[in-house]
Amino acid sequence: MSDDRLWKFRKPAWMNSAAARTAGVYGSGGLFSLAFYTFLDSAIWSKSSLNGSDVHVTFIDWLPLIFSSLGMLIINSVEKARLADDSWSYSGSGVAWKARVVLFLGFAALAGGMAGGVTVFVLKYVVPGVGMPMMGMGIENVVANALVGSSSVVLWTAQRLSLPQETKLIRWMSMETGDWAWGTKNQWANLGYRRGRSETNN
Amino acid sequence: MPHAGLKTIIALSFVLAVGFLLVILSCALWHNYHPLLVVATYVIAPIPNWVCGHCANPDDFVDGSGTAVVVDLGRFCTGFLVVMGIALPIILAHSDLISVGAMAMSVVGGLLIYGTIISFGMFFQEEQEF
Repeated sequence: MSDDRLWKFRKPAWMNSAAARTAGVYGSGGLFSLAFYTFLDSAIWSKSSLNGSDVHVTFIDWLPLIFSSLGMLIINSVEKARLADDSWSYSGSGVAWKARVVLFLGFAALAGGMAGGVTVFVLKYVVPGVGMPMMGMGIENVVANALVGSSSVVLWTAQRLSLPQETKLIRWMSMETGDWAWGTKNQWANLGYRRGRSETNN
Repeated sequence: MPHAGLKTIIALSFVLAVGFLLVILSCALWHNYHPLLVVATYVIAPIPNWVCGHCANPDDFVDGSGTAVVVDLGRFCTGFLVVMGIALPIILAHSDLISVGAMAMSVVGGLLIYGTIISFGMFFQEEQEF
């Protein structure tokens, strides 16, 4: 661990294991599923015989969820390593700048979706004074958007966990030059060797 | 992994049969075949993981963490489908499309089926060489 940390409490060791990362990715998928089906529940309930009122889930209610999901897709599709890359010759042509713009759009869509969920809840359910079982459709909308947000937070965090460095040496041959050399997986990845022939020593 | 023998196979198939029994009963007792969706969900749940695991080239590490993003995508989809298997009966019961008893039976049956699939995969996983 590095000694330049700011906080008194250090991250527990289990958080940096591969298992925690895997669990985070699974959990993120589960949270997103929970979000989607929470909202689908309100849509199905709206059309079921239990809903005696005139209030129904329409496309307006779907929009916030669509925007938050789009935001989540954008945020987690951007390669985070590119954010700090401007000083590095390998990634010229302002990749970091583009990454920041795209990430900003993603966060805007995510936050906009959440705000939209609250807006729909207030304008469609609170202001007209809809009664409780029908009010549930609006509450589920807000909950679903919050769950999409937490799902993308979990996914982001899981993918940024720093795993213990792999120390196994791998012999790589560069496709360009045909040279063989020894190094760890991460050393080769940082050098930009994505593909090549590898041999391991045990 | 513990050594898997004949007893494991028998126990797993028994649990699988109980799971299917519960789900089919939850459909047949109420003459309403919506809960069968749970079985379909749990059967396709491991597929994204499996497909993406085979798509990932072991020599291909896009980020420095050593895990390919495709594998993460597969895990995300699998997590999605697993929670979907629990969420579907609850949604159907909430909208009065199936009864609460059918919901409980199909959730428990679905978890048994998925648990069987997962433990079968864990017991009989072949050792993978890097």
